[in-house]
Amino acid sequence: MLRYIALRLLVMIPTLLAVSAIVFLIIQLPPGDYLETLIAEMQSRGEAVDQNQIAALRQAYGLDNSPVEQYFSWLFGLLQGDFGWSFEHNRPVSELIGQRILLTFVVTFSTILFIWVVSFVIGTYVATRQYSVSDHTATLIGYLGLATPNFLLALVLMYFANQWFDTSIGGIMNDEYRNQPWSWGKMLSVLEHLWIPVIVIGTSGTAGMIRRLRANLLDELQKQYVVTARAKGLHPRKLLWKYPLRVALNPFIADIGSILPEVISGSAVVAVVLNLDITGRMLLDALRAQDMFLAGSFLMFLAMLVVIGTLLSDLALAALDPRIRLSGGTTR
Amino acid sequence: MTDTKDPRDPETPDEIPHFVSEEPFDPDVEVVLTEEQEKYYMAGQWQLMWWKLRRHKIAVAAGIFLLLMYLVAVFAEVVAPYELQHRDVRNTFAPPQGIHLFHDGKLIGPFVYGFTSKRDPNTLQKIYTPDTSKVNRIRFLCSGGYRGSEFEFWGLFKGDFHLFCPESNRKPVFLLGTDRLGRDMFSRIIYGSRISLTIGLIGIVLSFTLGIVIGGIAGFYGGLVDNVVQRVIEVLKSFPRLPLWMALSASLPAKWSPVYIYFGITLILAMLDWPSLARAVRSKLLSLREEDFAVAANLMGASTKRIIGKHLVPSFASHLIASASLAIPEMILGETALSFLGLGLRPPVTSWGVLLNEAQNIQVVVLYPWLMAPMIPVILVILAFNFLGDGLRDAADPYK
Amino acid sequence: MNPRITIAALGLSALVAAFTTSALAFEEAPAVQAEVEAGKLPPLDQRLPNPPSVVGAESVGAYGGDLRIAMARSRDTRLMTVYGYARLVGYDRTYNLVPDILEAFESENDKVFTLTLREGHKWSDGHPFTTEDFRYWWDDVANNPDLAPLGPPVLMKVDGEVAKVEIIDARTIRFSWSKPNPFFLPALAGPRPPFIYRPAHYLKQFHEKYADPEALQAAIKKRRMRGWGPLHNSRDNLYDMDNPALPTLQPWFNTIRPPAQQFVFVRNPFFHRVDSAGNQLPYINRVLMNISDGKLIPAKASAGEIDLQARSLFMSHFTFLKQAEAKEDFKTRLWETAQGARIAIFPNMHVADPAWRELFRNKDFRHALSLAIDREEINEVIYFGLATASNNTVLERSPLFKEEYRDKWARLDLDAANELLDGLGLTKRDGDGVRLLPDGRRMEIVVETAGEETEQTDVLELIHDTWFEIGIKIFTRPSQREVFRNRVFSGETQMGVWSGVNNGIVTASMSPFEFVPTQQVQYQWPKWGQYYETGGQAGDQIDIPEAQELFNLFKLWQTTEEPERRAEIWGRILEINTEETYSIGVVCCTRQPVIVADNLKNVPLEAIYAWDPGAHFGIYLPDTFYFDDVAGR
Repeated sequence: MLRYIALRLLVMIPTLLAVSAIVFLIIQLPPGDYLETLIAEMQSRGEAVDQNQIAALRQAYGLDNSPVEQYFSWLFGLLQGDFGWSFEHNRPVSELIGQRILLTFVVTFSTILFIWVVSFVIGTYVATRQYSVSDHTATLIGYLGLATPNFLLALVLMYFANQWFDTSIGGIMNDEYRNQPWSWGKMLSVLEHLWIPVIVIGTSGTAGMIRRLRANLLDELQKQYVVTARAKGLHPRKLLWKYPLRVALNPFIADIGSILPEVISGSAVVAVVLNLDITGRMLLDALRAQDMFLAGSFLMFLAMLVVIGTLLSDLALAALDPRIRLSGGTTR
Repeated sequence: MTDTKDPRDPETPDEIPHFVSEEPFDPDVEVVLTEEQEKYYMAGQWQLMWWKLRRHKIAVAAGIFLLLMYLVAVFAEVVAPYELQHRDVRNTFAPPQGIHLFHDGKLIGPFVYGFTSKRDPNTLQKIYTPDTSKVNRIRFLCSGGYRGSEFEFWGLFKGDFHLFCPESNRKPVFLLGTDRLGRDMFSRIIYGSRISLTIGLIGIVLSFTLGIVIGGIAGFYGGLVDNVVQRVIEVLKSFPRLPLWMALSASLPAKWSPVYIYFGITLILAMLDWPSLARAVRSKLLSLREEDFAVAANLMGASTKRIIGKHLVPSFASHLIASASLAIPEMILGETALSFLGLGLRPPVTSWGVLLNEAQNIQVVVLYPWLMAPMIPVILVILAFNFLGDGLRDAADPYK
Repeated sequence: MNPRITIAALGLSALVAAFTTSALAFEEAPAVQAEVEAGKLPPLDQRLPNPPSVVGAESVGAYGGDLRIAMARSRDTRLMTVYGYARLVGYDRTYNLVPDILEAFESENDKVFTLTLREGHKWSDGHPFTTEDFRYWWDDVANNPDLAPLGPPVLMKVDGEVAKVEIIDARTIRFSWSKPNPFFLPALAGPRPPFIYRPAHYLKQFHEKYADPEALQAAIKKRRMRGWGPLHNSRDNLYDMDNPALPTLQPWFNTIRPPAQQFVFVRNPFFHRVDSAGNQLPYINRVLMNISDGKLIPAKASAGEIDLQARSLFMSHFTFLKQAEAKEDFKTRLWETAQGARIAIFPNMHVADPAWRELFRNKDFRHALSLAIDREEINEVIYFGLATASNNTVLERSPLFKEEYRDKWARLDLDAANELLDGLGLTKRDGDGVRLLPDGRRMEIVVETAGEETEQTDVLELIHDTWFEIGIKIFTRPSQREVFRNRVFSGETQMGVWSGVNNGIVTASMSPFEFVPTQQVQYQWPKWGQYYETGGQAGDQIDIPEAQELFNLFKLWQTTEEPERRAEIWGRILEINTEETYSIGVVCCTRQPVIVADNLKNVPLEAIYAWDPGAHFGIYLPDTFYFDDVAGR
């Protein structure tokens, strides 16, 4: 097992290198660069542009260098822990990410927890009651969240939260708590705002989870050993918990790695609508403004999270399914 | 019926006569099938699937609904009472009109009440009040004859035939109201279905092909191939999908015409979708090839191709279909999300995403909620795909 | 020739005449008073310059309160520099230039400018503001190749000649050129002024020439900068207000480093303005700028979470805002705008396709297009009938306005348009009724937009129909702003849509550059504009006589001093623009919704919301706004 883990860690290196190259390609793809975007925005509002500032910036950030040079200087920076400089915010990227990480974790983890709990409950429930009315009803509820476009759902929920509960429009807390130290009131204010993004992002993820759990559980439940066990009079609940559910959780676990980027993607759109100060939103803004180092380092950061997540999920998979483990792991 | 003694008779213990039934005997009786059984057992996999699917009522209903939706998309020009570009500038932001059957207690067939409008001098809002003296009848299977009724069917030939139409321009029928330019929302949604529904189909064909081939190869061969594919998938999946979509759509050349942009976006959606499918295929294959039947086939010397094609693929077809039925609606939603961010299709192209993008501000929620109507077909279609997928998946289940 | 000398002394001299400054008993905000008593700040008479700038407002206000505003981007902190509108010289409400930070200025024929600072004027950190700050900028910033690779800004050059800068004493500085520089003073009064002074005492710690080399190296390293230049530049943004440590002269200064979701701007205790009763401004303690997505700002306004807002609000939000007034304590006012046209169509003179280029350069063709726009319908449908059908020209408020500029070729006359096109020999049409170009192609025009507002595509949808009736089919193609611009610049775009001239309320003393090929961002003739902007290094020379005449008139205007002559030149420029219809204006004079909380006073009921001149709220001096129920807040 140790050797397997070491191997996997080693394999991560080329993966991350490839990711970094793709990330850089992506942030270079849109035409123009940050300064052009900035100039266009300024001029379109009739604002004069300080050509000197632009020229100085161009020089300072090496935007005149060839993309290859820019890539390597960025990559070496990354290796040394220098995530680069954000043009838009005029600060080091690491500071920016650091500022948002707490709220991002709160939102992401609440959401993942929500997805797991809801899909686990509904998924197991419907799989054991295939084709019943309650199966269809529960499935419908599980899917509704997926079917509703996130941004509209968020908008409507936000409006009604404002109308009914007098929750302030947008943001993760009331305006007066911004820039304030953490306090009881601030916590409550965050909780008051948090449920909307969690539900909106969460419901779009639960449907997939429910489906996979249900599909796998149904597969499993029809296998011989289950029939045998049932024939031998094993208690249905014990039977369900002992083997089929665990096996059915296989792809469930395999998805730890992919659920994270999904939640972050989802949170980005919702964050735009709800004006949440979380990383997903900043990433979108950075991409839009072509704030390349911010966007790039950010994507890199997320990609790393996912790569580690995938590794963990593979390990968990191996631990859970002896067949995979005994035959030497997924990579063999 | 015979004179032979009962063998158990204690009085005749010495001999037990050999009993032979005189009934005709067929040694195959246990193996021969009834006609019905024969049909069942000899039916192909897909035939079986169809039979099973039929039992899944909701899936069938969803399938029929989707079929209808695609028909509507094909015949959008006929189903929509107004041509896409048509505007009634006197009736901007008109609310939906309810369909009535009875007027003054008499059945006069489906009609809507007309309305009178005036602008509120303070808020500048156009306020519509239904006028129950104005009866705007709905005609069916009609030849238009009003402004906005003429269309070019798929840009090929001109027509004027509609499923239903208003009587005239003075007596309009706006089932779902109108938008800020006085365009009929119902017609726009119908036209929008054309792009929104096909984007998922084309995308899934692309991603499916890629996903099965690549995932299949990785899952069966394992080893180095698997490793390489795994890394590629890992790299592609390491990105939050949306930013990747964003970046890629931002780089679509702006000089492309809407048609190219449409295909470009489909391609982008597909390019990012196959890894999850490939991954599913692979993980399924990995565990399946450990199953007895695959090992058995292997031991019996079946070729790799045969094992994959004949034994393994059918075994996880259910999983594939489940994934696909999720992927199509995801692509439809992807299109709406991109349009929402201003990176997908943009007006004057009409898709559900574009329509929703126009509806996604709070004043619509408050003042003109009917502009959110495109949400309904989006939700219904996505639910339908999901239920159909569930049905297909259950039907394709090889263990049942 | 007598040198024309403008001397303006003491801001808003009319008011000052009523009170002599020494007669005023100066008052200060209670919050500041407490700090003075605690010994943290010097007393008021040591903080105010002598004389302070006395400004009038509708009423004398009360101190206190937090003003809540909203912006879409973290970078929008710069808007507080715009709104604060502390300028060396500024416009008053009737667009006259008056000294503000300066005690007085003097201009000889627009060639020699003598600026006099107020005695005892201080930066927001209490350090004296003197001509040293100007010198530092000129010698150590503008002329330092590490900080300004391109040298002094264009404004400081006239035909290549760099300004001569003389420091006369600690309060007097002179800029001079041998030729007139009529742009100098208006630029100082602009919404984004060229800060020709910098807080030297603060910035020297980042300047190679003054700083302790070791400390500087440490600072560079600590902040991961690529040299002292970027470090200095990143600290030195008087406009952006993104460095809380940077002293300022504005009424409020920022205390939060971006990025943040809320910026808190607190009063500058050394601010140089007082009201007519001698109270030091600003009245309002703090400005809270909440960063929200632009689409949420109307919603926040409707929920009563904003006290003053115009940015990110559009006419399409009006009904929504009006309805919300019933529940919340604010009113929606409609201010005038200054754009020459809200929407204008720009046929690209440099379009690559020769057939189209020839047509676009033909004024009959442009007239036909203009005549085939139903501006009244557009006004009714999209602008609630509140706009005015107009060419892209000066507005009625401008003293240069003539009805003919607005109306000529701006009526709907499809017959006349058809006739004009027939007259060009474009008589052949295909089965759909679309005219054919001489080479047999259908007359199909792709109109591109920057793809930001649906307003533009909506207008084009309406234009589509009437243009179709004169046999021209248009397709709308939205793209992105940078792409849109680059395609227009390179001649790939046939026609673009954007807003018209930014300043439609010009006077004869303002430069007519917006009506003349002088900028690349003039989408009807980007290459000619670029040619001028780059001094002939890029772009094309003007090659049609009418445009050349415009350019000559522009040059003539620069060297003309008499107001009457300037007005004449302006008249001719506007005439040519009207007659040639280089850009096709659609409507003008749309309104800007402005949200004002009911308890916020001194905000004008009716005003002009304009960028330059005007600085949005700037010329209405937000430092004089106050809450009439501070206690209740």
